[in-house]
Amino acid sequence: MDNILPKKDLSRWLEKMAHAAVYAPRLVDDIWSYEIVTDPGSVTLEYPMTAVPAKKIIFPQREILFEYGADGDSGPEIKERLPEDKPVVILGLRPCEARAVILTDKVFGGELKDIYYWRRREAVTLVGLVCASPPSANCFCLSVGGSPRSREGLDILLTGLGESYYVQALTPKGEKLVREGGALFRPPQPGEKQSAETIQAESEGKLSRELKDIEDVPRKLKGMFDSPFWDEESLSCIRCGICTYLCPTCHCFDINDEAVSSSPLRGRRVRTWDTCQFPDFTMHSSGHNPRPDKASRLRQRINHKFQYFVETWQCYQCTGCGRCISLCPVGIDIIKVVEKVRDHAS
Amino acid sequence: MPANVYLPLLTRIASIKEEVGGLRPIKTFRTEFLDGPGFEHRSGQCAMISVFGRGESMISISSSPLVKEYLQFSILKTGRVTTALHEMEVGDIIGLRGPYGNGFPVEEWKGKNIVFIGGGIGLAPIWSVFQTAMMRRNDFGELVLFYGARTSRDIVFREELGELKGKMPVHLSIDVAEPEWKDYVGFVAANVADKKPKPDKAVAITCGPPIMIKTVIKALKDLRFQDDQIYTTVENKMKCGIGKCGRCNIGRHYICQDGPVYSWAELKNLPQEY
Repeated sequence: MDNILPKKDLSRWLEKMAHAAVYAPRLVDDIWSYEIVTDPGSVTLEYPMTAVPAKKIIFPQREILFEYGADGDSGPEIKERLPEDKPVVILGLRPCEARAVILTDKVFGGELKDIYYWRRREAVTLVGLVCASPPSANCFCLSVGGSPRSREGLDILLTGLGESYYVQALTPKGEKLVREGGALFRPPQPGEKQSAETIQAESEGKLSRELKDIEDVPRKLKGMFDSPFWDEESLSCIRCGICTYLCPTCHCFDINDEAVSSSPLRGRRVRTWDTCQFPDFTMHSSGHNPRPDKASRLRQRINHKFQYFVETWQCYQCTGCGRCISLCPVGIDIIKVVEKVRDHAS
Repeated sequence: MPANVYLPLLTRIASIKEEVGGLRPIKTFRTEFLDGPGFEHRSGQCAMISVFGRGESMISISSSPLVKEYLQFSILKTGRVTTALHEMEVGDIIGLRGPYGNGFPVEEWKGKNIVFIGGGIGLAPIWSVFQTAMMRRNDFGELVLFYGARTSRDIVFREELGELKGKMPVHLSIDVAEPEWKDYVGFVAANVADKKPKPDKAVAITCGPPIMIKTVIKALKDLRFQDDQIYTTVENKMKCGIGKCGRCNIGRHYICQDGPVYSWAELKNLPQEY
């Protein structure tokens, strides 16, 4: 079910989504991120790679798991705090972001489901936008199984055609959202379908970077566990954690209590993003630390994405968005690191 | 497992026993679920203990699954949560979720001799399977227990160990000589090398500080124990218990789920990062 939406009607489509919380790219303090739409008329889908990925919407940086409290002599009681099940739409998502959601689904799924993640996940409709030109100077999605026109994980794929969007509904959720737009949409002319296909096909030739011939990298990494390579590569790391916090596929988290008062007992248990790049991430209370230095922590990041995840799920835990390269304050470049692993003698 | 795996079940502390005093105190807690039967566990599994307002800590369950009345935890005061636990009293309410991990393959050990080798608080994870073996004594062959502590004052399960003397071989050790000490002086691995337990029809289970586990495995290998006859239980910092928070991994294994119990045949093929 393909359709055409004139760009000038995008805001009217957004107005019809009043039942949902709609996120779209917005420039806030000179930083692009996905924010809740409050003024549909101001929404633009002409935007570079956001700094913070859309994972913050399905897997927020901080969320309350439950509240606890006790009154008088009675013991503590626990009050579960599940996310609202209000529908959410993310508009203009980069295809690599939707692929990241699919990868994260694997982690939070399985036999022991993470109910907080899935509440949000099931409520979300992902409206993607073909990257007709790469949104970042470090895009390499094609090298790790993605594409600027990937449909994986998306409910709708938009392709910009001059004054309109070519709208492809890919799932029942997507079809429903298009139906809500009603008469704003019209069927495409044959030429428009062809234009969209051309833009999609050409998008794959425009990527800024690539990471070639990495099929053997998981095996190479296994053999390089004790290599001094990791010391050399991690020398410049200042352990800020940006590479992982801003990675759309990194999912590590911490759980802590935020005490409000001890008498009467009041507080909440909170989950927050965490990162394998922080020294205390793995530190035992005895002081023993299995990953005591920058070398072992960089190795964990690369191994997780290019070996361990592949061993478990048969795909890289990287979507090639390039954020960890663009935003690293000391210029550690995951493409170069993995290329060196690839070319390492072993 | 419940729909929301992060919600702890409430339990009441039924008893507290002071095992070790001093600067590295250890207490043994027994807990009873407030509502319903709670959960059943296997030897070697862990539970996430909640002290509301302080947080959670993953602790191995040291009671046998054959004991249904309570769950037992022997806890070294070392961090934020365990310090809070040490300040608690009988009747106080704590949370428990779990059980987590694979547990020991006890049924595979029927008819075998078992060598138990613990160091420090590392006797606690072994204690559960040791209790099971004692309660189902006819299911197993010869049982031998090695246990080492830093000093004689750091020995856990002192009474229980005392009652075992004469009933089965119990080889205690302390790291440095003390005037009144009659047993072995030296590290646990050296005591094992000295007493030479036989590998025939045997399995050895060891738990303790990382360096002790490594030296004990070497000692067992020297005594010709095969890799698949040596079991250990690994610990790492944990937050979720369900293989999602990302911090307890050894290679692709999350030890909260895929471990904490490994044979050396399995563990030696994982990255040596624990």
